[in-house]
Parts: sequence; C-alpha cells; structure tokens
Amino acid sequence: MPSLKRDFSTLTLVLIPVAIAINIAVGQLIYTLKIPLYLDSIGTVLVGVLAGPWAGALTGLLSNLIWGLTGLNVAYAPFAAVAAVIGLLAGLFSESGWMRSLWKSVLSGLITGLVAAVISAPISAYVFGGVTGAGTDVVVAFFRTIGFGILPSSFAQGVSSDPLDKAVSFLVVWLIVRALPMRFLARFPRAENVQETGQAAA
Amino acid sequence: MSEALSLYVPRASGVHRLNPLTKLALAGFLLVAGLAAPGLWGTYLLFALGVLPLALLAQVSRELLRMSFRVVLPFAISVFLIQGFLWPGGTPVIGFGPVSLKQEGLLFATAAAGRILMVVSSFLWFALTTRPDTLMTALAQRGFPASLAYIIVSTIQIVPRFQSRAATILDAQRARGLETGGRFLQRVRAVFPLVVPLILSSLVDVEERALAIEARAFNRPGPKTSLFEIGEARWEPAARWGLLAAAIGVIAARFILYR
Repeated sequence: MPSLKRDFSTLTLVLIPVAIAINIAVGQLIYTLKIPLYLDSIGTVLVGVLAGPWAGALTGLLSNLIWGLTGLNVAYAPFAAVAAVIGLLAGLFSESGWMRSLWKSVLSGLITGLVAAVISAPISAYVFGGVTGAGTDVVVAFFRTIGFGILPSSFAQGVSSDPLDKAVSFLVVWLIVRALPMRFLARFPRAENVQETGQAAA
Repeated sequence: MSEALSLYVPRASGVHRLNPLTKLALAGFLLVAGLAAPGLWGTYLLFALGVLPLALLAQVSRELLRMSFRVVLPFAISVFLIQGFLWPGGTPVIGFGPVSLKQEGLLFATAAAGRILMVVSSFLWFALTTRPDTLMTALAQRGFPASLAYIIVSTIQIVPRFQSRAATILDAQRARGLETGGRFLQRVRAVFPLVVPLILSSLVDVEERALAIEARAFNRPGPKTSLFEIGEARWEPAARWGLLAAAIGVIAARFILYR
C-alpha cells in the first residue's frame, strides 16, 4: 500500500503526538471556560485533514487510550473507537474537498458529530449505564422521564452535544489550515486536499 | 522522564517487576471479565477477589481505591438518580407517586455501577504499576512498530509542556483584557482567541522535530538496539497466553450461557 506509507511520513509521525497533546490541552482550556463544548478532538481532525483518514483514525484511537492510561480521564478510554471514527471521517471529508469551504467544513463537522453520537450511544449505554456523569445528563433524565429507553436516551444526549461540538472543531481546523503558511502545509501528505488550486499560482 | 505524564507509582513489589506485557494481559483479562460478568454482583465480586488483591500485592491499593472512587462516583450518582427515579413504568419500592425509586432502575444502576468500577479499576491498576516507557520498550522488543512506540512515548512527554503553554496563553489573553468569565456569550467569544494561538504555536516546532529524528536514523529499517532490556520470569509468556485464552473463553461463555 504505497499511499499508506506516504500518509505516515516522518512529519505525520511527529504531528500525531502534537495533535494528541492539542486534544488534551485544548480540552482542558475549554473546560475552564465552562461552556457546553468539549473541543477535545481538534488535533484528531487536523491530522485527518493533513495526513489522511488512517492517520486521523490512529490519532483518535491513541488519544483516548493515552487519556485513560495517564489518568487524565479514565472514562474516555472505552470511547477510543468513536475517536478513531472521527479522525477517519475528517480524512474522508477532506479527501472530497469539503475542508476547502467554510460551510462545507461546518457541515462535515455536523455529520461527524451525528455519526459519533450513533456509535457512542451503545458504549455509553452498556459500559456507563447511559449516563455521562456530567451536565448533559439533564438530557438523559428528560428523555427517560418521557419514557424513552436507555439506548435512545443516551443517543439523544449525544445528539444534543456532539454535532455542535464537532462543527466548531471542524471550523477551528478550517481556520488553522488557513492561517498556516503554504510552505509548511505543502510538506504534509494530503496538502492538496486543503490547498486552493488557483491561489497557489498567484 | 520526571516531567512525563503518568499515573505510575514506584513501589518495590513483585507486580512492578513483572513484564509490562504480562500486566497488560492481566488488566485486559480483568476488563473483559468485568464487562462480561453475569448477574448483579458479579462485577463487585470480581473487583473484591481480582483487582483489589492485585492492588494490595502491588502496594497501590490506597491510590487505586482513591482514584477509582473519584472517577466512578459521578457516574454512580448519575446512574442511580436517573435510572433509579426515572425508570419508565417501573415498580416503585420507596417513595410515592411520580417521585419514587423503581426496582428495575435500581437493579440496572447497581449492575451498571459495577461495570464502570471494573473498567476503571482494571485500567488504573495497570497504569499505577507500569511505566509507559517500559511498556513501549517491551512492545518494541517484540516487533511492535517503533513509530507507534515513538508516538505514544513522545505524547506522554509533551503533554505537560502543552498544558503549561495553554496556561501561559490564558494568562496573556486575560492580561490583554479577554473576558474568560462572566456572561455565557463572553465565554463563548473567548474560545477562538485561546484555542487558535495554542494550536498554531504548537505546530511551529513540528517540522524541526521531524528533521531532528530523521537526522538520527529514525527511518532506518531493520532491528534497533535498545538501551534498556525488559526482562521477564520464565513462566510469564505461558501466563500471557493463558490469560488471552481465558479472556476469549469468558467472552464465549457470555454469549453461549447468558443469551
């Protein structure tokens, strides 16, 4: 697989730890603002966009495992597969050129968030009894009160927070990619997915 | 590695001297068994007879109990309140009318809390007794890709630096008058001025690091010599295979017997 080898260049291997550290540091920074967002997968999305879906998936997977293993947030580890899918989708959206436009980036984020909510609901329902142990449990409580099952309630909780969170994450990545110098971007394996063709010549 | 991010607690115990892979297999087995444990009290029994004795053996039982408690408690409170009180159409046991604890909800919450406890504590037991870098060295010695080992070890080393960089940016932007408290909209507006500089400044040294490790023959194919050799007792490989087989057996039993 020559393309896989191309995606996992030395630059990608160096980017991934930085991306995971970005996930963790930004996640904690946002936590201090006390707003209903997590923004703890910006690094994962960034790797997906710059180095392809597989590198993005690896970043998400390792991110959550390291999160657990270092004791920063042990409860994140069971959701490693969800994080991997987020990185994978970011890579796929970027491949189809969606990260070039502001609105398509936001839309990619919304779709990714929806998918994340679908896959995390069964994990949350089975491992954690359908609760998150955080403020969004209000949503779970509401849906249980009106008679929804555990899995649908847990899914509703995900839908109430994930799409918005991922849309903002994708938007931040779009901004970052714009702000990075062309010379730097061009060194990444999937740079052509985000570079504007007309602008390069000008 | 003094600054690296890790839960590792150094102790002179036999558990700490085990090969990291053996501990990984043991923690993995406990995790699988915890998720597959049948009945209401299966997970609690597994915790009392599996994780707890292992933590005592490793002299980390105090840390394990304290940390497990801190992680599990918010989940347990949530699951008991939500599923206990709001179980649709359940049989009330305590309370009157709409505000009552339902039997089905309490049973579910007890089982769920047990599963959370097992997942969290088996993970913590491994993290408390194993240094991440020795785990990676042990994996690399068995043909695990060196590039993956590099990713994990360097992540653990750079996270503390990133955390302090985040704190610096927070202070700097506050000094310039950025509101990080106060009204909701103000706090939302603070997201971009905090996040974008943090990410851009961290990406700056990516290229330099790549050049540095390439100059040190990172990409050279073939076996590499490690400064540390991770030893193991003669029985350990057999024990690992045994644990793997046992984990598969537990999953199989779960699907055959309790479905």
